[in-house]
Amino acid sequence: MNELIQFDLSLIMPEIFVLSMAMVVLMTDLFIKPSSRWIIYSLSQLTLLGSTYLTGKDFAEETQFAFSNMFVRDGLADFLKMISYLGISLTFLYSRSYMKDRGLYRGEYFALVLFALLGMMIMISSHNMLLVYMGLELLSLCLYSITALDRDNQKATESAIKYFVLGALASGLLLYGMSMIYGATSSLDIGIISTTLFNHPTDHSILVLGLVFVLAGLAFKLGAVPFQMWVPDVYEGAPSSIAMLISSVPKLAAFAITIRLLADGLQSMIIDWKEMLLIMAVLSISIGNITAIAQKNIKRMYAYSTISHIGFILFGVMSGSLNGYASSLFYVASYMLMTLVSFAILMIMSNKNFECELIEDFKGLNKRSPWYAFLMLIVMLSMAGIPPTIGFYAKFMVLQAALEAGFVGFVIYAVMMVLVGMFYYLRIVKLMYFDEPKVKGKIEASLDVQWVLSLNALSLLIIGLVPYTFMEATTQAISLSLN
Amino acid sequence: MIEFKDFVFYALSFVLVASGLSVITSRNPVTAALSLVLAFFNAAGIWLLLQAEFLAIVLVLVYVGAVMVLFLFVVMMLDINLDKLREGFWDYLPMAGFIGLLMMVEMVLVFKTKEFNLSPVDDSLKSISNTEVIGNTLYSTYVLPFELASVVLLIAIVSAIALTLRDRKDSKKINSSDQINIKRQDRVRLVAMKSEEKYVKSKTKDRK
Amino acid sequence: MNSIYSYLAIPLLPLIASFCVGILGKKLSEFFASSFTILSVFGAFILSCFTLNQTLDGLVVNQAVYQWLATGRYQFEVGFLIDNLTAMMMVVVTFISLMVHIYTMGYMKGDPGYRRFFSYISLFTFSMLMLVMSNNFMQLFFGWEAVGLVSYLLIGFWYQKSTAIYANLKAFLVNRVGDFGFILGIAMILYWTGSLDYATVFKNVGIITAHTMQLFGQPVEVITVICVLLFIGAMGKSAQVPLHVWLPDSMEGPTPISALIHAATMVTAGIFMVSRMSPLFELSDTALSFVMIIGAITALFMGLLGIIQNDIKRVIAYSTLSQLGYMTVALGASAYSVAMFHLMTHAFFKALLFLGAGSVIIGMHHDQDIRNMGNLRKYMPVTWITFLIGSLALIGTPLFSGFYSKDSLIEVVKLSHITGSNFAYFSVLVGVFVTAFYSFRLYFLVFHGKEKWRLQTVAHNDDYHHGLNPKDNPHESALSITLPLTLLAIPSVVIGYISIEPILFGSFFAKSIFLNVEAHPAMEHLSHHFHQIYHGPFGMAVHSILSIPFFFATSGVALAYYCYQVNINLPKQIIKNTQTIYSILENKYGFDSFNEKFFAHGSRFLGERFWRLGDEKIIDGWFVNGTARFVGKCSEKIRIIQSGYIYHYAFAMVIGVFLFLTFFIKI
Repeated sequence: MNELIQFDLSLIMPEIFVLSMAMVVLMTDLFIKPSSRWIIYSLSQLTLLGSTYLTGKDFAEETQFAFSNMFVRDGLADFLKMISYLGISLTFLYSRSYMKDRGLYRGEYFALVLFALLGMMIMISSHNMLLVYMGLELLSLCLYSITALDRDNQKATESAIKYFVLGALASGLLLYGMSMIYGATSSLDIGIISTTLFNHPTDHSILVLGLVFVLAGLAFKLGAVPFQMWVPDVYEGAPSSIAMLISSVPKLAAFAITIRLLADGLQSMIIDWKEMLLIMAVLSISIGNITAIAQKNIKRMYAYSTISHIGFILFGVMSGSLNGYASSLFYVASYMLMTLVSFAILMIMSNKNFECELIEDFKGLNKRSPWYAFLMLIVMLSMAGIPPTIGFYAKFMVLQAALEAGFVGFVIYAVMMVLVGMFYYLRIVKLMYFDEPKVKGKIEASLDVQWVLSLNALSLLIIGLVPYTFMEATTQAISLSLN
Repeated sequence: MIEFKDFVFYALSFVLVASGLSVITSRNPVTAALSLVLAFFNAAGIWLLLQAEFLAIVLVLVYVGAVMVLFLFVVMMLDINLDKLREGFWDYLPMAGFIGLLMMVEMVLVFKTKEFNLSPVDDSLKSISNTEVIGNTLYSTYVLPFELASVVLLIAIVSAIALTLRDRKDSKKINSSDQINIKRQDRVRLVAMKSEEKYVKSKTKDRK
Repeated sequence: MNSIYSYLAIPLLPLIASFCVGILGKKLSEFFASSFTILSVFGAFILSCFTLNQTLDGLVVNQAVYQWLATGRYQFEVGFLIDNLTAMMMVVVTFISLMVHIYTMGYMKGDPGYRRFFSYISLFTFSMLMLVMSNNFMQLFFGWEAVGLVSYLLIGFWYQKSTAIYANLKAFLVNRVGDFGFILGIAMILYWTGSLDYATVFKNVGIITAHTMQLFGQPVEVITVICVLLFIGAMGKSAQVPLHVWLPDSMEGPTPISALIHAATMVTAGIFMVSRMSPLFELSDTALSFVMIIGAITALFMGLLGIIQNDIKRVIAYSTLSQLGYMTVALGASAYSVAMFHLMTHAFFKALLFLGAGSVIIGMHHDQDIRNMGNLRKYMPVTWITFLIGSLALIGTPLFSGFYSKDSLIEVVKLSHITGSNFAYFSVLVGVFVTAFYSFRLYFLVFHGKEKWRLQTVAHNDDYHHGLNPKDNPHESALSITLPLTLLAIPSVVIGYISIEPILFGSFFAKSIFLNVEAHPAMEHLSHHFHQIYHGPFGMAVHSILSIPFFFATSGVALAYYCYQVNINLPKQIIKNTQTIYSILENKYGFDSFNEKFFAHGSRFLGERFWRLGDEKIIDGWFVNGTARFVGKCSEKIRIIQSGYIYHYAFAMVIGVFLFLTFFIKI
C-alpha cells in the first residue's frame, strides 16, 4: 500500500511541485515590497523550470496510471505539459512590462496563473471524467478571476462576468453530459467507458444525449461555433496579457480532454461525434474567417482568427485517425506559438499611456521598427498558412488527414475559407509596410523580451523549414497514448 | 396503486420544482433566498428517501445552515433591485420557454427508453453506515479529486480577496519611512512674489 | 567527410554568404562582401574536389539529410545523391562560380549593386548545387526553379534598363512553359511510381513500361510521355528550339552571369537532368528520337544565326545555343557520357570566351559592337591569347578539350541508328563548319585588322554603351579579370586529353548512367574505335587530321580569314546577293515575331477579353464585391447575435445544444 502511494506520488510529482510553488509565491508576496516583485517573477519562472525538469526527468515512454486509474501519465500528457510550461513561461515574460504599466504586476496574478497551470496539467493527465471536471473548474476559476484582476477597468470586469456566467453554463452542460454517460455506462473511468462501449455496442440515445452535452462543454472551452460567443468579448475586454493567456495554453488542455474523452473514452461513438465535430468545424472556419474581416479591433480579429484555427483543429480530430489526432496536436501546439507572438507584439507596442488594440495602430510599423514588423509578418503569414511557415504545415497536415478520412468537399471548402482568411492577415501586412505611421516613436522592449520574442517568431519559420522533428514528436505522443 | 414512498417522492419533488420556480420568479430577493432554502430541504428529503442520510444532513447543515444564512445577510444588507436585473425577463420568456419545452420533450423521449445501465448498489454496503462508506471512498479512491477540490476552494478565496480587497482611500495609515525621509523642500516652497500694487494703493488711500 | 551532413556544407556555404551579404547589404564594405562570398565559394570548391576524389574511389552516397514532410503515402525528403556524375558537376559549378566571383570583383567595380550582385551569384551557386546534388525530384525541382529565379533576377540586374526588364520577363515566361512540362512529368512519375526518390523511381520503372495511356485518342506509352514532358523542362532550361528565344536576350545581364549562368552551368541543367534520368530515357526510343531531332535543329540553325550577329556577346550566345544542341543530340544518341563530357569541356571554354568578351567590353568602354573593334591583340595580350585558346577549343582543334568531346560526339551520332540520326549527323557535321566560321569571324574582327573605333565619328550617347573615344587606346584589364581567364584557359586546353578515357570509355559514369547496350550500341562501338583504332587520345588527334570534321573546321576558319582579313568587302556583297536568306536569319527565323504576334498579342487579346468578362463581371462583380457584400451582410447578422448581452450568448449556446440534440438523437 505504502509503495503504491509512493508510486502514485512519483507520477504526480510535477503537479505537486507546481501546487506547492504556487502557494510559496502566494506567501512570499505577503512579505516583500512591491518594488521587489521581480522575486515573484523569478520564482514563477523557476517553478516552470523545475516542473520542466520533473516532467522531463522521467518522460513517459509508456502509459502509467495512478490514483485508481484517475491520473494518467503518457506521451501525450508529458508532451502537452512540456509545451504548456513553455507557453506559460513565455506569457510571464511577454506580459511583464505590460502588467507593470497597468499595476497588475501582483503576486496574485502569478499565483493564479500557476494554479491555472495546475488545472491544465490535471486536465491533460485526467483519465476520469471527475478529474476532467475538477481540472476544468480549477483552470476556469483562475481564468475568470485573472480576467477581472484589473478591477477598475470596466471592460475587463464586464468581460470577466460574461466569461464566468457562460463558463458556468458550459460547465453545467459538460457535467450534465457526463452524468448521462455515467448513467449509460455506470462508470466515470475513461478506460472502463471505452471498454464497456466497445464490448456492448448499443445505439444508446442516452449516450448521444450525453455526448451532445459533453461536446457543448468542450466546444465552449475550445471556442468553437456555436459556443464561441464569449471569445471576442473576453479577448477585447481583458487586458492583452490576459487575453494572451486565455487564447494560448488552455487550448492545449482543452484539446487534451477532447482527445481523451472522444478519441479514447467514446471512440465507439465515432460516427456520432464525427458529424458533430464536422458541423462545428465548418461553422467555426466560416464564421471565424468571415467575421474577422469586419473587425476594427485587433484583439477581436485575433479572437475570430482563433475560432477559425479551432475549426481546423477539429478537422483533424474528426478525421478519427491517429494521423488526424497527431496533426491536430501539431496544429494546436503551433497555434500556441503563433498566438503568443501575435499578442506579445501587441503588448510591446502598447505603453503606459497607450493601448494598442486597433488594427490601425499597426500602420507604418515597418518605419517605426522594421524588426518587429518582420516578426509580425512571419506570424501573419504563419496564421494565414503560407509556406514555409509552421502554419502551412499545420493546415496542410490537418486537411490531409481530413482528406484521407473522406471529407473531400469540406476540405475544399476549408481551403477556400483559408483564402478568405488571408485577406485580414495580409491587411495587417499591408498596413505595416505600405502605410504611413500614425504615431511616431520607436518601440522599446527589454533585452530578454526582444531576444526571446525574436526566437519565438523565427521558430515559426525554422520549424516550418524543418518540420519533421516536430511532426515526429506529435505522432509519437499520439501513438504512444492511443492504441 | 401508489406506494407511500412514491407519494412522498412526488410530493417532495413537486415542492422542490415549485420552490425552484419561485427562486427565479419572485420579485423580492429575500423571498427568493427563502425559496431556495425550501428547495434545499426538499432535496435533502429526496436524498433521505434514497437512504443517503449523510448527504441529506450535510446539505441541510452546510447549505441551509451556513451558506444560505450568509446569503440572506448579504441580500438584506445590500439593496439589490432584482427588478432591474430581471428586465426583459417576460419578453424573452415565450421564446426561451418554447425552446426549453422542446428540449424537455426530447429529453423525456430519450429517458423513456430506459437505457440507463446502472449497477445496483451492493447489498453488503447497506449494513455499513453511509458516512463511513463515503469517508472511505473519499480518502482512498477519490483522494485526488478531493484534494483538488480543496485547491479549488483555495483559489476561490484567493481570487475573492484579490478582486475585492483594496486600500481605503480615506485610510489614516501612516508610512513611517516616508515620514523619516521627508526633506524640507518637499514640504515648504518659497515663492518670490511681487507685492500687489492695487492692494498697496488702496491701503495707502485708506491711510490718507 | 563521411557523414551526410558534411556534404551539406557544400551548398550551405554559398547560401550563408549570400544571406549575410544580401541582408546586411550596405553595412558591409565592398571588399568584405566580395571576399566573404569568394571565400565561401572557394570552400565549396575545395570540398567538392574532396568529394570528387572520394567518388573516384567508388564512393556512392544516397542518403536523406532530413525528412521535410511526410504525408500519409508520400514522403518528401531533402537528400543528396553523390556519385561521379554529381561530383563532376559540383566541381565544374563551383570552379566556374569561383572564377566568376573573382572576375566580378574587377568587372562590377563601382557598380551601385556590387554587393547585391555577389549575393545573387552566391545564391545561384547554392541553387545549382542543390539541383545537381539532389536525390529526389522535389529537390531537383526546387533547384530548378531557384536557378530560374536567380537567373531572372540577374538578367534584370540593371533594372533601370528597359531592355533588361523585357529580357528577364521573357526568360521567365519562356521558362514557365518548360517548367510546366517538367512538373507535369514529375507529377506523372509520382503518380505511376508512388515516389519521388530517384532510386525508388528507377527501381519501379518496370511498372511504368508495361502501361500505355490515351493521349488525344491514341494509345501512347506512359514512359514516352513522361520522358517527353521531362525533356520539355530541359528544353526550357537548356534553351532548345523552340524554347530557345530567351537565351540571346538574356545577354542583357552583366557579362559574368552570362558566363556562369547562361553558358556554363544553369543552361546545362537540362542536359544534366536527362543524363540523370538515363534509366527512364533508355526505355523510350521515341523520346530519344525526339530529343535528338530537337537537338539537331538547335545545333545547326542556331549556329547559323551566330554568323550574322554583330554584338560580341550575342555571337557567343548563339554559339552556346548551338553547342547545347550538340549535347542534346548526344543525349538522343544515348551517349549520355559524351553529352556530359561535352558539357564539362564546354563549360570551361565557353566561360572563358564569355569572360574574355567581358574583358573586351571593358576595354572598349562598354561598346559591344564587333564592327567597332579590331586589332585588340596589340592592347590586350592576355585577353587575346586566352580568347584564341577558347575559340580553338570551341571549333574542335585537335588536342584541345573541345576537340575530344566534339569529335566523340559526332562519331557517336554517326554510329547511332535511332530514327533521326542521319539528320542529326548531317546537322552536327555542317555545324562544325558553321562554328568554325562564326568563331573566327568574331576572332578576326575583334583582335585583328584595322582599329575601327578610330574611324567612328558619331559618339554614342546611350547611357550603357559609352564606347571608346577614337583617340583612346583600349588597355588590358585588371588582374582580377585576367587571372580567371588564365585559370580557365588551362582546363580549356588540357581537360579533354586527360579525362576522355576515364569519362567516355572507363567506368567513371558506370554507377550514375544506365545504358541499354543492346538497344543502343553506339557507345560500345565508339569505345571499340577508341581503343582498337586510335590507341588513346593522342592517336585520336592524329587520326582526326584526315577526318571530315577537321576538314570542315579548317575550311570554316579559312573562309573566315578570307572574308574578314583578305577580302573585306566580300561579306557585304554576299549579303546583298542573298537578301532573302539574310533577312530570314536577321529575323531569327521569325520565332520572336511569331511569339510576339501569336502568343504575346494573342494572350493580351485573350487577357483583355477575360479581364472584361471574367475579372470585371464575374470576379470583381460577383466574387470580390459580391463576397464583400456577402461578408458585410454576414457580419451584420453576426453582429446582431454578438450583442454583448450574456443572455443572448447563453441562449445561443442552448440553441446550439438543442439543434445538436434534434439532429443527432434517434429515438
